[in-house]
Amino acid sequence: MIAGLEVAFGLIALAGAVSAALIRDSYGKLISLGILVAGVLPFIVDRGYLDVAVTVSLIAPIATIFVLMVARREES
Amino acid sequence: MIALYVVAAIAVFAAIRAIIEKNTGRKLPYANVLNFAVAGALVLLLDHPLSLVAAAAYFVGSTLESNAIASTYAGGVKR
Amino acid sequence: MLGEILHILAAAIISWILFVTVDIFFKLPETGGVSGASAIARDIEAGGGALAGGTMMGNIVCSPDASAGTLLAACGVYVAGIPGGLAAALMVFIGNRICHDPGYAGTTGAVLATFVVYAFTLVGFAATDFIAGMVIAILTIQGLSHTHASRLLARLWRVRQ
Repeated sequence: MIAGLEVAFGLIALAGAVSAALIRDSYGKLISLGILVAGVLPFIVDRGYLDVAVTVSLIAPIATIFVLMVARREES
Repeated sequence: MIALYVVAAIAVFAAIRAIIEKNTGRKLPYANVLNFAVAGALVLLLDHPLSLVAAAAYFVGSTLESNAIASTYAGGVKR
Repeated sequence: MLGEILHILAAAIISWILFVTVDIFFKLPETGGVSGASAIARDIEAGGGALAGGTMMGNIVCSPDASAGTLLAACGVYVAGIPGGLAAALMVFIGNRICHDPGYAGTTGAVLATFVVYAFTLVGFAATDFIAGMVIAILTIQGLSHTHASRLLARLWRVRQ
């Protein structure tokens, strides 16, 4: 990949990780995890591992839905 | 080649806007712009028929994630 | 260099008109398809926007509609020509059903956009221009100013009514 693009997508992944650590709100934390996955995925595709990319992009939302079920049970 | 730079710049802009915004309901549209930009970048990075499947799977998966977060958020506000 | 930038801007305008027309034709600003869409609409209205435009933006977030169809159809035409675009339309249809959305806006938008993008590749545009143009178009709706975008969409929705 071109260096500028690596910097751009790496910046997105780092910003998602740091904000997931710092934000207090639980919904904001989950959105930050989504931003982290969005920054990581272009690196997987750039190396040519398309099957890994499909698997990651299907597993990540399912993990989020499980976390949401746990969070909703603790709230009520 | 310019298309890839435009898409990457929009992705960075949308990610920063989504992190800065405080309200959950107004955070989700910015995250949606990020999903569009990344799904476009996946196809532009690698010209292969399977990359269309990867982009569609990523897009549908992230939309489902936003849908679940928004639905739980709506239920949490009502209670 | 300059010609490619002009092509991207023209493609952005074309795809903006295409997906806003299809979305308003399928009455997306009328009701929230799922409960999350109305929650987003309420938050946008609390921030100073209009309710009808906010509902349409919530529907775009919560389910793959005509904008997603346009993006994936442009990707499909770039990868594999017209069969790729129709395969993208099939995937948008499956994605609609996964997200509990009963509408046909996404599928119709994808099929329409396949032929529009293919027609423009015959006159000198590249399919990559339409991918970047669609990302710019969604940025103008969802990413710049929610207040102004929702008011603009509400005004267009009143014209449709």
